[in-house]
Amino acid sequence: MKCQLCHRKAELERGYCQYHSKAYSSLVSGYPKWKRTYEDLAWEEYLRRVIALPETGIWVKEVAEAEVKGMIE
Amino acid sequence: MLAALDRLQDYTLVVCEKPDAARRVAEALKEDKLATVNIGNVEVFLVKNAGNQYVVCSAVGHLYTVEDPARKRHVYPIFDVDWFPTSIVNSKANHLQKRIDVLTRLAQKAKIFINSCDFDLEGETIGYNVLKYACGGKEAAALRAKFSTLTSDELRHAFTDLRRDWGRNLAEAGRTRHVIDFIWGVNLSRGLSEAFFVANRKYRMVTVGRVQGPALSYIIDREVEIRSFVPIPFWNITAVLDIDRKRIEASYAKDRIETAKEADRVRAECEGKNGTVRELRTSLFRQSPPVPFNIGDLQKEAYRVFGFSPSQTLAIAERLYLDALISYPRTSSQKLPPSIDYRKILNGLKRMGNYKQFTEEILHGRLTPHQGSKEDSAHPAIYPTGETPVKQLDSRQLKLFDLIVRRFFAVFAEEAVRERISVFIAIGKHDFKIFGRRTLQLGWLRYYGIFSGMEDVTLPTLEEGANVKVIAVNVIQKFEQHPPRYNQSSLLEKMEQEGVGTKTTRAEIISTLYERGYITGESIAATDLGFSVIEAMKLCSPNIVSTQMTRDVEAQLERIETGDMTGEEVLEDTISLLIESLYKVKLNEMDIGSNIRQALISTVRLQNLLGPCPVCKTGKLTVIRSRRTGKRFVGCTNYGKGCRASAPLPQRGKLRTTNKLCGTCGWPIVYIRLTRIPWRLCVNLNCPTKSVKKREVPALP
Repeated sequence: MKCQLCHRKAELERGYCQYHSKAYSSLVSGYPKWKRTYEDLAWEEYLRRVIALPETGIWVKEVAEAEVKGMIE
Repeated sequence: MLAALDRLQDYTLVVCEKPDAARRVAEALKEDKLATVNIGNVEVFLVKNAGNQYVVCSAVGHLYTVEDPARKRHVYPIFDVDWFPTSIVNSKANHLQKRIDVLTRLAQKAKIFINSCDFDLEGETIGYNVLKYACGGKEAAALRAKFSTLTSDELRHAFTDLRRDWGRNLAEAGRTRHVIDFIWGVNLSRGLSEAFFVANRKYRMVTVGRVQGPALSYIIDREVEIRSFVPIPFWNITAVLDIDRKRIEASYAKDRIETAKEADRVRAECEGKNGTVRELRTSLFRQSPPVPFNIGDLQKEAYRVFGFSPSQTLAIAERLYLDALISYPRTSSQKLPPSIDYRKILNGLKRMGNYKQFTEEILHGRLTPHQGSKEDSAHPAIYPTGETPVKQLDSRQLKLFDLIVRRFFAVFAEEAVRERISVFIAIGKHDFKIFGRRTLQLGWLRYYGIFSGMEDVTLPTLEEGANVKVIAVNVIQKFEQHPPRYNQSSLLEKMEQEGVGTKTTRAEIISTLYERGYITGESIAATDLGFSVIEAMKLCSPNIVSTQMTRDVEAQLERIETGDMTGEEVLEDTISLLIESLYKVKLNEMDIGSNIRQALISTVRLQNLLGPCPVCKTGKLTVIRSRRTGKRFVGCTNYGKGCRASAPLPQRGKLRTTNKLCGTCGWPIVYIRLTRIPWRLCVNLNCPTKSVKKREVPALP
C-alpha cells in the first residue's frame, strides 16, 4: 500500500510512509507544548495554526492538511 | 633540441606530478641554463647538476586509472579490475596518451629514476603508476624526493637526500583506496542502474560511492529533521531605553517566555516605569591566537570569509603552491616546525610592501608559533614560503594568499585581550540586560582582525544607580527554528569530524553530490533522488551509509601505510561486504527501480519549477518541453484551467532556476549558462526593463 501523501510504501498505522509517520509523531508531540501556551487549544485549531507557519516542515504541513481534511470529511 | 635529447643516455629521469612542478624542479636543479624540449606539447626539461644529467618530465594528475576490463554496464558484480591508461578509459582524456608515450620514450635511456610527485597518497599513486607502467617496472628501483614547498632551496635539499624506501606503503594504500572505491562504486551503481532498468525498461545511470553514501546520509538526516519540524511558540521581551539620547534595546533577563499570559504580565508590570542601573559588571577575557591552517580549516575559513566553495579553495591553494607561494596545501597538520625557518619566511614577506610593517613587528618578538593538535607525518601546516609572486595574482588568489599570510602572522602574535561589559537594568521588579564588548589589546587581531568577524559593541557611559528612561516595552512572539541546513563548509566540517573521506577528497565528494542531482542549493537540501538512493542503500547496503564502515576502511588504509596490513587483506574484507549488499539489491530490484523513477520525476518537476504565476496568481510557472518541436518554453501549471501565461526560453545553454522574482514585473529570474559567466534573465518577454534597453539604443541617422 502506498502512503496517502507520497509514492513511498505506507506503514501500517494511519496510511503514512516512514517520513510522514515521523511528521505525524512530531505533530502529536508538539501539541501538549502548544496547549501549555494557548490553553484550551483544540487539535484542529492547532493543526490550522501549524499549517500557517512558514517555519513548519513540509511533511508536517502535508500531514496536518490531510488530518484537517479528514476531520472535515 | 630534440636531437640533443636523443643523444643523451644514462641520465636521471625525474617524474613530477604536474608540468608546473616539473618546471620548478628543473629550475631548482639547474646550475647553468635550462633547456626545454617540446615533444608534441609535452614539455621536457634538460638540466645538469653536480655533473649529473637530469631529464625532468611530469604527469598531469592520474595518467592511469582503475577500470573493469570487460566494461559491460549491465554486468555486476565485478571484482577483477586492473589499472589502465586514463586515455583509454576516458575518451575526453585521450590527449594524455602523448604524455605516456613521451615518458616511456624517456625511460628507455634513463639509468636512474626519481619519483618527485607530491608526498601524499595521491602523489605517491601517480608516481608509482608512471614508474610501473610507463617506465617499464621501475617503481621498486626509483628513488624518492620528499618536499613540502616548491621553493628552490627546499627542492635542492630534497635532491641531496633521496631514499628508496620512502612512500612504498603510501603507494600501496593509495592504489588500494582507488580499487576499493572503484569496486564499491561500480558494483552498487550498476546494481541500482540495473534495478531501474528492470522496473522501467529504460536505462538510467544511478550512481553511489563509498564515501558519497555517508556524506549524503548526513544531509538526508538533517532534511528529515527539517521536514518533520513543528515550531513551538515562545515570547521575547525587550525594553527600548533612552541613554544619552541614544536608543538602546535591552533584553529581558529571561531569554524565553513560554506563555503569552506571562509575557503580557511582565509588560504590564514594566510599562510607565523608568529603569535604574542595578549592576555594572566588567570581565576581561583573553583570546588565544588561531592555529596554523590545515586544508580543512583553510576551506572552512575561506568559505566563511570569502564564500569560496571547498573545491574552489583547494584549486586556488594548489595554484599558489605550484607558484611556490605557499607550502603543500593537502595537509592535515596544524603545526609549523622550526625547520621551515620562520625568520627566513618573514624576511621574504617583508619584501612585499603591504606586509613590511607587520613582519618587522613579528621579527622583534618571540618567534614561537601557537600550534594546534593535529599532525601529519608527511607535511607541516600551510604557510607562505616568503617568495614574492612573479606574476599578477587574480583577485581570488590574492584573497586566499592574504588570508594565509595573515594567519601565519597571527600564529606568532600575542593573545588578544577583550572586555565584556554587562549592564543590568531594573524596571520595576524585572531585570533587563545589555551587553558591550571592546578590545583592550589587539594582539593577533592586529594581523587577522579583518577576517576574525569580531566587532566591538560600545555602550554609553553608565554608572550604578543611574536612572534610565524607558521609551517602550515590547513583547515579540517568536517560533523555534528548525536546525540549519548544511552549507558546504559545515558539511565539510561534519565529514572531518566523522572521519569520512580524506583531506583531499572531501571537497570533491560534495561537488559530485551536486553533479549527480542528489543535493541542491547553497544551503544544502536533499532532492527526492537523493532520498531514494539513500533509501535503497539503507535497505540493501546499510554499511555504505554508515560512518562506521567508512571509518573502518580509512583505518585499514592507515594500517597499510604503517605496514601492518596488506592491500589484498583490505580488498578481501571489502569484497565479502559487497557481495552481501549486491545480493539484497538483486532481491529488491523492482521496488528500488520504481522508487528511483518516482523520485526522478519529482526531482525534475521541482527543478523545472520557476515560481508563482504572476498572471493567474494560483498556478506556478514551469519549464515545459514541447512534444511536437522538442523546444523548451515557460508555461503555467494552470494551463488546463485557462491560464495562458507563457514565455519563450533560449534553446541553448544550461538553465538554472533561482526562486527569485524580477523586481520590475514579478516574473521569475533564471540563469542560462552558455559560457563561463551565466546570463541572468527575466523570463518575461514583455518585462519593462527590456523595453527600456531597446529605447536606449540610439536611432541611426
